[in-house]
Amino acid sequence: MDRDDLDLFEASLRQATERHTGADLDASLAEVGWHDALATDVRAGIATLFTLQGRANATSTALDHVVLDALGISTEHLRPVWPPLGTIARRPATVYGGRVRVDGLASRGVTETPRVAMCVVVASDGAKDVATAVPVADLALRPVGGIDPSLGIVEVTGDAVATDGWPVDWGDAVRRCRLALGHELVGASRAMLDLAREHALARVQFDVPIASFQAVRHRLAETLVAIESAEAVLDAAWQDGSADTAAMAKALAGRGARTAARHCQQVLAGIGFTLEHPFHRYFRRVLVLDELFGSARLLTTALGDDLLRTRRMPPVLPL
Amino acid sequence: MTLDEFRRGLDAWLDEQADELAPRHGGAGTLDEQLAQLNRVKRLAFDAGWMRWGWPERVGGLGGPSLLRGYLGEALISRDLVEPGFASMHEVLAPTVIDYARPELAATMVPRFLRGDENWCQGFSEPGTGSNLGSLTCRATRTDHGWRVTGQKVWTSLAQHAHRCVLLTRTGTVESAHRGITALFVDMDTPGITVRPIESMHGSPEFAEVFFDDVAVPFERTLGDEGQGWSVAMDILPYERSTALWHRAAFLRRRLEEALAAAPGGALDPAEVGEVTQLLYAFRARSRATQHRFSSGHRLGPETSIDKVLLAAAEQAVFDLIEKALAPAIVLGDDPVSARWRSEYLYSRAATIYGGTAEIQRNIIARRLLDLGADR
Repeated sequence: MDRDDLDLFEASLRQATERHTGADLDASLAEVGWHDALATDVRAGIATLFTLQGRANATSTALDHVVLDALGISTEHLRPVWPPLGTIARRPATVYGGRVRVDGLASRGVTETPRVAMCVVVASDGAKDVATAVPVADLALRPVGGIDPSLGIVEVTGDAVATDGWPVDWGDAVRRCRLALGHELVGASRAMLDLAREHALARVQFDVPIASFQAVRHRLAETLVAIESAEAVLDAAWQDGSADTAAMAKALAGRGARTAARHCQQVLAGIGFTLEHPFHRYFRRVLVLDELFGSARLLTTALGDDLLRTRRMPPVLPL
Repeated sequence: MTLDEFRRGLDAWLDEQADELAPRHGGAGTLDEQLAQLNRVKRLAFDAGWMRWGWPERVGGLGGPSLLRGYLGEALISRDLVEPGFASMHEVLAPTVIDYARPELAATMVPRFLRGDENWCQGFSEPGTGSNLGSLTCRATRTDHGWRVTGQKVWTSLAQHAHRCVLLTRTGTVESAHRGITALFVDMDTPGITVRPIESMHGSPEFAEVFFDDVAVPFERTLGDEGQGWSVAMDILPYERSTALWHRAAFLRRRLEEALAAAPGGALDPAEVGEVTQLLYAFRARSRATQHRFSSGHRLGPETSIDKVLLAAAEQAVFDLIEKALAPAIVLGDDPVSARWRSEYLYSRAATIYGGTAEIQRNIIARRLLDLGADR
C-alpha cells in the first residue's frame, strides 16, 4: 500500500473500531476489505487494525484470520485453536496413536456453529508442525469469563480421531500473532496514557492541575518511553522478519502495557479504580493480551535461557 | 556512495588494516593512550576517505548521507578500536561549527578535528549552571578588538587535551536568561585559560574545570550572531542524541556479548539476561530509526529525549548485569582487563547524569511530547 492507500485504510479501520465491537466489528472488517488487505500487505493489515483495536478497546476475531492466513487457509468456515496459556513451546494439540488431543483457547468465532463446523489444530509430529481439522462437535467448548469477559475467549479441549494433516509453518503464525498482539498492547497503552493525561490536565488540586507536579509528569513520561520502545522493536521485527525479534517486541509491549497501567492508574487515582471510568477495561484487556501466545515473563526468560546456552547475542538489523 | 557500498568497503578496509589499527595499549589504557589511539585511527580513516564520507564537501568531506558516519563509528567501536565516548565527540561538535561558524573558519577547522589533528571540547556547564543552562554567567564583554571572556566552566570533557572549545557565554544581562547567550569558538591556548582536570570515580581525568581570566576572542570566532547562543546549544542537543547514541549502542552490544561469553555458569538469572537484552534492542531499534530520520533530512527535536532515556536505562542495565556476571574481576581484579570492566561499569553510573539528566529528559518529554503545560 502506498501512503494515500494506507491513510484511507487506516481511516476506515479507525471508524470501524471506534463504532463497532464483537460480531459487528467482524462484519465491518469484511466490509472495508480488511481480509484482502491482510493477504496483500500483511504488515499494514496487522499493524493498522490491531493498534486501533487496542486503542478503542474493541474486540474481533481478526486474530483467527492472522493465524489462518499464516497457515495458508482461506476458508471462513474454519477456526484455529490458539495455544493454552502458561507455555511458549506447546502446540494447541498433540497427536498420538491415530488420535488428536486438543488443549487450547479460541475466539468466540468457534461458537458460531453451524457456519463454523471445524477447528484447525496444529500439533508437532516430532519433526514438523502438522495442521489437522477437527469437528467442533468433537470438542468441549467452555466460554471463559475471567478478568476480561468482553474478550469472549473460549477454552477448547477434546480428544478426536486424527484425520490426514498437512504440514504448516506454525512458527510463522505465532510470529504474526505476537506482532498483532504487540500492536494491540501498544494501542491499549496509548489509550491509557491519553486517559491519564486528560485527567492530569483537568484535575485541580492545590489550585493547579496535577499535571504540573513533577511526580505526575514523570510517571506519564515513563509511560510514553515504554510505549515508544515497544513500538521501535515492533517496527524492527517487521523489517527483519525474525521470530526472535517478534518475541522481543511482544515481551516489550506486554511489559510496557503493565508499566503504562501502573503509572496511569496511579495518576487517575480514585476515579480510575471505579467502573465509572473506562480505565479498568484497558487494564483487564492488556493483562489477557500479555498472556496470549507467550507472556512477557515467559518470552523474556526463554530469551535469557537461549542466550546463556549459546553465549551469543542474536543478530540485529543492520543500520 | 550508498550505505551498502560504504559498509562493504569499510569492512574490507578494517580487515586489511587490522594490525595497523589495533590499539597499542592493553585493557582500557590511560586517557592519553585512548586519545592517541583515537586520533591515530581517525587519521588513517580520514586519509583513506572513510572519515570524510557523510560530511559536506565545504569542510573537506566527500558528501553522502549521515548514515555513513553512523556506520563508521559503529564499525570502529564494535571492533574495540576506539573509546566510544571520545570517538563520538566530533558528531556533536562538528555539525554545530558547520552550521554556525563563518564558512572559512569551518572549512579550516573541521577537517583538523575529523582527521584527529585536534581535540575539541564543549564549554556549557558551570558550577552554578547544571540543568538550568539558561542561568549561565561566564561573561563575554564586547570591546573594540573583540570579546573578552571571564568566568568558569565545569564538566568540560577533555578540556586539558583540547585545542578548541565551543563555549557558551553570557553577553546580555543575567535576567535576559536564554536570550542573552552567545556561542564562541575559542582557541584553548589563548592566554588567560587555565584547565584543572577532575579525577572521576571511573579512574580517568576525563572532565575538567576551565577558568577564563580576561581571555581575548576575536569577533570572527562568534558562532551565529550575538545572542544566538541558545539556538546553538539547542541545536547541539539532538546531535548528542543521534549518531553519538547509535555508536553507544554498538559499544553496549559488544560488551554484553563479551560478558555473556565470560560469565561463569549459574552467575546470571535468565530472566534478567533476557530483559537486559530486550532493553538494549529497544534502545538500538529506536536509535536506528532516529539515524534514518536524521539522514533523510528530518530535523531532530525533543523526541530524541526518549532515545537518551532508553540509552541510560540500557547502559545501566547492561553494566548492572555485567557487574553480576564478572563480580570477582570488577571487585578485586587488578589486571588490565578487570580494570577496564571496572572503569566501564563505574562510568555507566553517569549515563543518567550527563547530557541532560534522566529527570531533565522526562521534563522535556512531559512538556514537549505530552504537552502537559508548565510545571510548578
